[in-house]
Amino acid sequence: MASTMLRSGIQGVLRRGGRTPQAHPKRNFSSSAHNDEYETAKWEKITYLGIATCTVLAFYCLSKGHHHSEPPPAYPYLRIRNKEFPWGMLCIT
Amino acid sequence: MIESQRHSYHLVDPSPWPISGSLGALATTVGGVMYMHPFQGGATLLSLGLIFLLYTMFVWWRDVIRESTLEGHHTKVVQLGPRYGSIPFIVSEVMFLFALFRASSHSSLAPAVEIGGIWPPKGIGVLDPREIPFLNTPILPSSGAAVTWAHHAILAGKEKRAVYALVATVSLALVSTGFQGMEYYQAPSTISDSIYGSTFSLATGFHGFHVIIGTLFSIICGIRQYLGHLTKEHHVGFEAAAWYWHFVDVVRLFPFVSIYWWGGI
Repeated sequence: MASTMLRSGIQGVLRRGGRTPQAHPKRNFSSSAHNDEYETAKWEKITYLGIATCTVLAFYCLSKGHHHSEPPPAYPYLRIRNKEFPWGMLCIT
Repeated sequence: MIESQRHSYHLVDPSPWPISGSLGALATTVGGVMYMHPFQGGATLLSLGLIFLLYTMFVWWRDVIRESTLEGHHTKVVQLGPRYGSIPFIVSEVMFLFALFRASSHSSLAPAVEIGGIWPPKGIGVLDPREIPFLNTPILPSSGAAVTWAHHAILAGKEKRAVYALVATVSLALVSTGFQGMEYYQAPSTISDSIYGSTFSLATGFHGFHVIIGTLFSIICGIRQYLGHLTKEHHVGFEAAAWYWHFVDVVRLFPFVSIYWWGGI
């Protein structure tokens, strides 16, 4: 009995690699290695920066206007319509 | 968890959802094939299959949320299941989209004589990559930054900030989908215009579809965060949504560089 207890005790230590069990084991997939308060504030600022950049870019792109190109010649590989759309028309425009 | 339970595993109750999901998927597939070929009743079967599938998804996830939050079955050990499951799922999604980008590269790297031996094919009008495609590319990474903000807010225990961050995530995602729709509306070519239209529409369309899925996933997380389902220690559903969302926003860079930019100039 005593030898069994001793053996299981040794095996337990070997399994843990000789370390004492931690109260809060490390979360393998967690990204919370840093201070979360600081990281929250940092990523909030990065988000605002992203939103500001996208807004400026959107105004710039939309104010430029849209370029209309001439319809191409009727090459056989263009506008291939083998069957109707579910709504019946042969064209969506 | 039940007090008398002496292990940390979740032994699930018998559930009708696996078989109902399978039947829904079968009806959707058969109905879809029938609809695309001249069979009668294809549209009806496809619609019924999709309704059945969506209903199964709703009630199955409702059960999972109930088991996790109300019944407390999702112990640390149980949480590993969906975590490990999310990784191969996202990897398979990456491979799926990679195949579509590869299809575009296959057709564009050595253009066939039938399309004039050039890329874009002769006569194809392409979008200017410096306009809406360029605008739409930073929107998704910004949304990815917002989901990271939400993640840290959850870990810091700032519940309200996390809800705001998820609102920002979803708003940016909706703006991105709106611009994608606008891009398709204005595009000089369509899916029926040569191999360019086919590969372009399939790759960008399926990416857009994944954006919509990720948006729905983030909306669900936002609602669950608002309802107080997600805690500092336990927010696996949110983590899966965040990983999925990062996959979607990073993948956007590939079609932008290879299809819009390299393939469109």
